[in-house]
Amino acid sequence: MPILESIQRPERWSVPFSTEMTDADIDRLLEVKPLCDLDPTQFRGKFTLRGILQNDARLVRYRKGDIIVRQGDWGNSAFFVISGSVRVDLQATTSLPGEVLGRQKVRRKSAWQVLAQLWNFRREPEVRDVASYREDARIGSRGSGEQTRIYLQDISAVLDTYRTAVIKAGQFFGENAALGRTPRQATVFADQPTELLEIRWQGLRDLMRRDTGIRDHIDQVFRERGLEWFLLNTPIFQHLDKSEVAQLVNQAEFETHGQYDWAGSFKRLARHGADTNLQHEPLIAEEGHHPNGVVIVRSGLARLSRRHEHGHRTVGYLTPGHIYGLDEIVDGWLGKSPKPLKNSLRAIGMATVIIIPTKLIESLLLEKTGRRNISRRTATGGDPLIKRPVIDTTRINPDFVEFLVQNRYVNGTATMLIDMDRCTRCDDCVRACAATHDNNPRFLRNGPIQNNIMVANACMHCEDPVCMIECPTGAIHRQVEEGQVVINDQTCIGCGACASNCPYDAIRIVEVRHKRGDFIRDDRKHAPIVKATKCDLCADQWTGPACQNACPHDALVRMEMRDVQKLTEWYTR
Amino acid sequence: MKRLAARRTRNLTILIVAVFAFLGCSALATIALRDTARLSGWLLLTLIIFLAAYNLRKKLPFLPLGSSAAWLQFHIYTGFFTAVAFGIHIAWRIPRGPFEIVLAALYLTVFASGVVGLFLSRSLARRLTTRGDEVMFERIPVYRRQLQHEVETQVLAFLTASDSSAVAQFYADRLEPFFSRTRHFWQHLAQSNRPCVALLNEISSYDRYLNADEREAMQRLAKQVRKKDDLDYQFALQATLKYWLFGHVPLTYALLAFAVFHLLLVSAFSGGGR
Ligand code: HEM
Repeated sequence: MPILESIQRPERWSVPFSTEMTDADIDRLLEVKPLCDLDPTQFRGKFTLRGILQNDARLVRYRKGDIIVRQGDWGNSAFFVISGSVRVDLQATTSLPGEVLGRQKVRRKSAWQVLAQLWNFRREPEVRDVASYREDARIGSRGSGEQTRIYLQDISAVLDTYRTAVIKAGQFFGENAALGRTPRQATVFADQPTELLEIRWQGLRDLMRRDTGIRDHIDQVFRERGLEWFLLNTPIFQHLDKSEVAQLVNQAEFETHGQYDWAGSFKRLARHGADTNLQHEPLIAEEGHHPNGVVIVRSGLARLSRRHEHGHRTVGYLTPGHIYGLDEIVDGWLGKSPKPLKNSLRAIGMATVIIIPTKLIESLLLEKTGRRNISRRTATGGDPLIKRPVIDTTRINPDFVEFLVQNRYVNGTATMLIDMDRCTRCDDCVRACAATHDNNPRFLRNGPIQNNIMVANACMHCEDPVCMIECPTGAIHRQVEEGQVVINDQTCIGCGACASNCPYDAIRIVEVRHKRGDFIRDDRKHAPIVKATKCDLCADQWTGPACQNACPHDALVRMEMRDVQKLTEWYTR
Repeated sequence: MKRLAARRTRNLTILIVAVFAFLGCSALATIALRDTARLSGWLLLTLIIFLAAYNLRKKLPFLPLGSSAAWLQFHIYTGFFTAVAFGIHIAWRIPRGPFEIVLAALYLTVFASGVVGLFLSRSLARRLTTRGDEVMFERIPVYRRQLQHEVETQVLAFLTASDSSAVAQFYADRLEPFFSRTRHFWQHLAQSNRPCVALLNEISSYDRYLNADEREAMQRLAKQVRKKDDLDYQFALQATLKYWLFGHVPLTYALLAFAVFHLLLVSAFSGGGR
C-alpha cells in the first residue's frame, strides 16, 4: 500500500509571495500600526497572523519619486505604509500624463505616416529606431528585472502641477483593485524614502475575515468608491434614484471565487486535458437551489451550466456586467412561490460577484415596475429588466460554446475568429498585419478549430488581462479610450512576465535590430535587447484591425465575446 | 437574421435592375442613332479599370479605402455586369480584326476565370474543413517529408528485426512512389478517393501472404497512407485556391494593356469625330 504523506500546509503557501521575509522582519512588523492593533487570538487554525505575513506579504522599499502603482495597472496586492509616505494623484483637473507613467499614448498615424508605410518597408524583422529609446526627461528608471522602478525626476514640479493627497505611515492603499480584480484607480508614488508592506489579495482577505476594523474600513471604501459607480452603470438599475441606489450599495454583498493566478493553473489544466465534471471551477450558485439574490459579475468570467446525464452542459457564459438569477426571481415573484435556479454558475478561473438580495430586487425593481408590465415583457412596457444584456447562447452550437468557455476564449474583447468554411487560406490577413506593423506580422493564422471556426493565435485583448499583472514598468497597459491592450516598446524591459502569464501564448519576446540588420545590444550586459510584442489591434492605424479589414471573404472577425448577441449573429449568419 | 443570404439577394437585385436599365438605355441610344459602341466601350473600360484596382487595394491595407470584403462584393457583381456591357459593345457578334479577337478572348478568359475562381473559393474552402488537419500550405512539403521519413524508418526497423522482406518489398514497389511526392491532385479536386481506397485494398489483400507481425506492420502503414492522402487532399485544394489567381490577375493586366491600345487605335482611326 502506498504511504501517503499528509500535507498540512495550505496550498497557496507552497508558493510564498516572497522568500525574503525573515522572523526579525515579522517581529518588527508586528510592532507597527495597524498590525500591532490586530488581535492575534482571532488568527487561529492554519492562517496565523505570522503565517500570513510570512507567506502572503513582502517588504518593498521605494526611493523618492518612484512610481508604485499607475492608474489602469492590474495588480493583485494592496500596500500598507510602514515608514515614509506616498502621494496619490487625485486627478482633480488633470492627471499625470501617460508618458510620465512610462506609457505611451498611441497616436493615430498622420496621413503622411500612413502613406509612408508603402515605402518604409523594412526587410529585416523587428527593426527599431534606437533614438526612440531615449527616456522622457521627466522620468528615469533604476534597478533591473522585476525590481525595475520608473521614477519621477522632478517631484516638486509634479506636486505643483497636479493635485495629490498624502498617504502616511499606518494607512493603506490599493485594496480595491486587489480585491475586486479591477484596474488601479489612481497613480501612487513615493514622495520620500518609503517602506511598504505589500500584501497579496488572499492575505488581505484573511486579514479582513479576522479583523473587524480592517474589514469595516475596506468595506466602506469599496462601497463608496467602487460599488456605487458599478451599480449606477448596471442597466437594470439605471432608473433608480439616489436613495434607492444607496439601499443597493448598503445591502449588496461581495464575493470572490477562484484563484487570482488562474493563468498558471489553467495552463496546467490545459496540459492535462479538460475536466468535464467542472470540479476545478468554484461554484457560485447551484442549479436547483433557491436564489438568495441576483448575482452580477463584477470582474472575471463565469460559466452557466446545466446538469446533463453524468456531466454538465455549458449553456452560456457571463462576463462583467452580466446578471444571473433574475429570471427565477421574477418568475417566483409573478407565480408567488419561489422558483429554483435553472442553471449553475461557476467561476472560470476567477470571478468577483455582487449579490443583491431578493427582497431588494422585489421592492426596488419588480413592485415598482408592476406585475402587468413585467408579465408582458415588452420593451415599451416600461420594464427595466428588458435592458439586461443577453447571455443566452442557445442558437449557437453547444459544442462550440463549450469549446469557447473551456478554453477561456470568452475572455477576449477582440478574439480572432475565422470561419474556415469561408476562409480561402489566402493569407491576406497576415500580409495586411505585416504591412501595418513594419513587416512583422503580429499573429499566426493557426490555432484550435471547433467544427468550422478557428480561434487564431492573436492577442484577444482580454477582459481580464492576466498579462498585465506583473509588468514591472507598466509598459503593457490598456488604452483608456478604446480598451486595446498595448505594449509601450520604449519602456518594455523584455522581462517576459507578460508572455509567461498570457494563458493563450499570444505574446512573443523578440530580439530587436538596427536598421542595418544587426541586433541592438545592451552595452552594459553585452546581451541583445529583447521586447515583448503582440497584436495591438492596429491602434495607430486609420482602418481599425487590418486583418479583419483585409479579409475578402468575410471569414475573419475580431469578436467582442461579451456581446453574445453579436456572436450569435455572426455564428448564424 | 441570415446576413449573408440577405446580402446576396440585395446585390443580385441591384445587379438585375442595373442590367435592365443598361439594356434599356442602350436600346434607346440605338434608336436615337447614337454611337453606342463608343459609350459602352468607355463604360466597359472604366469598369475594368475599377475591377483591376482591387489588386491595388489589396496592396494598400493601411489606407482607409473600405474593407476588402466590400470591394470583393462590388467586384463580383460589377464583374457580372461587365459581361452585358461587353455583349453590347461587340453587338453580340464575334469581332472581326485579329487584334479585336485577341482582346475579346482576353476579356472572356478573365471573366471566366473570375467566375470559376468564385466557385472554387466558395466550394473548396468548405471542403478543406471536412478532411485532414488544418495545415499551412507552405508547411505541407515539410510534413510530407516527415511522414515519409517516419514510414521509411519504420519499414527499415521492421526489416532488420525480422527475417522477411515482404513489407519492405511492398513499400518499395507500391508505397514509395506514393509517399515521395504529392499524388492524385485531380482526383482530390474531383473529390474522388478512389486511388487511396485502391491502395488500401491492395494493402489488405496482401495480408494473405503475411504473418501476424507483418500484418500489424502493414496496418500501421495503412494508417500512414490515410494521413498522406489527407495531406495530398489539403495540398490539391489549397494549391487550387491559391493558383487560380495566377491566371486571373496577370491576364487582367494583359487585358488592360490591350484595351488601352484598342482605345488608341479606334480614336486614331475615327479621326476624333462621331
Ligand atoms: C472581367 C473583368 C475582371 C477583372 C479585370 C478582374 C480583376 C481582378 C483582380 C485584379 C483581382 C485581384 C486579385 C488579387 O490581387 O489578389 C481579382 C480578384 C478576384 N476576382 Fe476578378 N476580375 C474580373 C472579373 C471577375 C468576375 C466576373 C468574377 C466573379 C464572378 C471575379 C471574381 C474575383 C474573385 C473571387 C477574386 C479574388 C478574391 C480573393 O480571393 O482574393 N472577377 N479580380
